[in-house]
Amino acid sequence: MFGSRSHKISIESDLFERLEKAAQVAGYSSADEFIIHILEKTAPAEASADSEDEVRKRLQGLGYLE
Amino acid sequence: MSTDFITVVSGLPRSGTSLMMQMLQSAGMAVVSDGERTPDADNPKGYLEFEAAKKLKQDASWVPGARGKVVKVISMLLYDLPPEFEYRVIFMRRHMDEILASQKEMLKRRGTLDESTAADAAMRKHFENHLVKIGEWLAARPHFKVLEVDYNAIMAGNDDGVRAVEDFLGGAVTAAGMKGAIDAALYRNRR
Repeated sequence: MFGSRSHKISIESDLFERLEKAAQVAGYSSADEFIIHILEKTAPAEASADSEDEVRKRLQGLGYLE
Repeated sequence: MSTDFITVVSGLPRSGTSLMMQMLQSAGMAVVSDGERTPDADNPKGYLEFEAAKKLKQDASWVPGARGKVVKVISMLLYDLPPEFEYRVIFMRRHMDEILASQKEMLKRRGTLDESTAADAAMRKHFENHLVKIGEWLAARPHFKVLEVDYNAIMAGNDDGVRAVEDFLGGAVTAAGMKGAIDAALYRNRR
């Protein structure tokens, strides 16, 4: 979808079990969702952040964002 | 019809989101809209938008009431939909040249065309980056089911997208009902 690609990584069982428990406590539907959310928050997003800023500016001009 | 999920029409502005809203309304689907953004030269049949959807981050209290209905949420605001609901997202795709040309016309009419903002080539790249990012974000979240619909194919008379919407929504709307809202005369700003 949208030309995106998926990548798999390996996580040791002990760590994964801890992440599964943390995901459950935090209300995530799965450990995968929890892990992706953490990675998104911590990964540097240079070009992507610039693009999102430009898209936001355009959307504001069009009246789709406040 | 099922009230288990919220139908969301999304995509970039000028990608055919209003047309899809009109198609679903024409097929009898309840629309979440306040009529605040009235029809204009850019959208003679109306936008069918909901102003509160622009402030999702601040207030999402209206979302539970959208179950069993359809609401327009542009792609950038999908991030703000609360995760405790099931969403079926009809994501409109249109040739990027047409989107950029149509947006430029709209910016001119609104008096908000800022020549200092990104040029078309740069804006195209920014939108493409955004589409990849939101696509990956949606794919990683099981509470979103996504159907991409090709606006250009619909305007060319291809029914595949319309039938796909019928299937996607579990028969809540019919292809025949949706097709009544398609008006090729409004297919403008192609370049």
